[in-house]
Amino acid sequence: MLPTSLDKQLPEGVADLFFNDAARKRAVERTLAETFIRWGYSEIIPPMFEYYEALAAEAGPQLREEMYRFFDRDGRVLALRADFTIPIARIVGTKLFDRVMPLRFYAIGSVFRYAEPQAGMRREFTQAGIELIGANTAEGDAEAIALAMTALRALGLDDFRFTLGNAAYVQATLRDLALDAADLAALRETIRRKNAPALAQFLATRPLDAPQRDALAQLPMLWGNAEVLERAVCVNDAARAAVERLRAVVAQLTHLGLQDMVTLDLAEDRGMAYYTGILFEGFAQGLGFAVVSGGRYDNLIAHFGPPLPAVGFAIGVERVMMLQRARASIAPAVIAQAYDARVATARACGQVVEVDVMNRADDALRVYARVRGAREIWWRDGRVEKLG
Amino acid sequence: MSELTIALAKGRLLTPSLKMFESLGYDLRMLHNSRQLVIESNGARFLIAKASDVPVYVEYGAADVGIVGQDALRESEVKVYEPLVLGYGACRLVVAGAPNLREAEWKTLTGLRVATQYPRCAQKYFAARGLSAEIIALAGSIELAPRVGLADLIVDVVDTGRTLRENGLVELDEIFKSQAALIVNRASHTLKVNVIRELIEKINARRKT
Repeated sequence: MLPTSLDKQLPEGVADLFFNDAARKRAVERTLAETFIRWGYSEIIPPMFEYYEALAAEAGPQLREEMYRFFDRDGRVLALRADFTIPIARIVGTKLFDRVMPLRFYAIGSVFRYAEPQAGMRREFTQAGIELIGANTAEGDAEAIALAMTALRALGLDDFRFTLGNAAYVQATLRDLALDAADLAALRETIRRKNAPALAQFLATRPLDAPQRDALAQLPMLWGNAEVLERAVCVNDAARAAVERLRAVVAQLTHLGLQDMVTLDLAEDRGMAYYTGILFEGFAQGLGFAVVSGGRYDNLIAHFGPPLPAVGFAIGVERVMMLQRARASIAPAVIAQAYDARVATARACGQVVEVDVMNRADDALRVYARVRGAREIWWRDGRVEKLG
Repeated sequence: MSELTIALAKGRLLTPSLKMFESLGYDLRMLHNSRQLVIESNGARFLIAKASDVPVYVEYGAADVGIVGQDALRESEVKVYEPLVLGYGACRLVVAGAPNLREAEWKTLTGLRVATQYPRCAQKYFAARGLSAEIIALAGSIELAPRVGLADLIVDVVDTGRTLRENGLVELDEIFKSQAALIVNRASHTLKVNVIRELIEKINARRKT
């Protein structure tokens, strides 16, 4: 066989999962689905591909560029879903807009992005997320955040913290500036990177009035606990409303006892192009990238039907798995040499018991049990052997 | 919360970076002249990495914060916070070439070949000007490339400009000014919010005295 042959290779960005990895992935998905269901969310299963036009509509230039596109036989452009929010917005906007609100949906599955694989984000990767549709309230925002935190806890990830910002605050602060598009883009990037020195330089050379300048100059420093909301300079009513909303969300999180898990960050406007309100990212000890990312998108559903406010988030399942890697495996607790009464009883009690069907010699079975990571061997004669 | 891991860039930034952290009360003697790459002092772990790797360590969270030149940072295109510049390690990324190019209005030439250790910065610079330059990525001794006919131009950092002169090159344009900067991983910024704030404030206070 030629070394260049592709028939036994995989393209970059996809992976085969089996044994531990497959089992752990399904376990994560199960835990998340159970958590979402308990909060009143029901599953929605959008198609894996649909018209590019629908998916691209509000996607923003980067996500659009990352979509996998192809043609159907009539020459129409199709795309693989790159997230769940846009397909769900289409379904709600075209079919479910007249139902009793709010709608609570969860979705779990593969999404596809043609991007450089990084920290668990392959080109095919798995998202598990929720959308809370029809409520534009601080209570709704807080429910999304609280559910994301509950989900991480259910996965055994306790050492986490969330960053909470409001895209509306950055948008309002930048709204009335007398700057051209290129300047505005440079300014946004400088603010995103909290590059205070470059920001100061930029502001010194542009014709801005004093309140605008003050509001922009302080943005890289507006992170920390709720006290940053007192420091925030507001140049217009929209900025004031954005801060007010954050205050209400924090109050709600405080009511839920979650305020200490949140760092406010008013310079944050990263994430999806369709975000219009609060946005949040969850970080867990042990991974340098966000494991949860979410936000409010009040204008997205209007693209497909009547306007409906919504908030949601997605958890990166592969990133969860990276964080859990050091933890429990699906190694069987026990390797039994033969089927006997103990096996059935233990399995009924939820223990993982694997029975040897290869008729291995005793020594070979010991080696096998160690390789599989089992804690005990149950011999045919009733003896139990503990493995160190 | 847990302690900080701080990545320092090897090379010309290392000595001033060590001095700065020593003035904040860390004992880094072991890093000055030994081959040691990691030490712990005062609840912080310091590691020394290649300048171009420091942004990667920080983006992935292998280090919570890093000290790196803005030149290496721009070239890496990583998503990190960069809240502070540190006032040392000043240099400039420039376009340079043979003296006759100044007269020949090099910006009107097509098919330029450009040798550089900063292929992304160079690519962006030439693309923004609509110049179809061919970028040749080299790992060092960039000044040699025009002399042996490998390239028409180079994009490289200059400090005093002596190396350029010695190789018969002149500066044609400045792409950006650079100095040492503090960069912060986005997860650490949230997970270790108080430790990071304290560090930024300490460095800021130190710089003002």
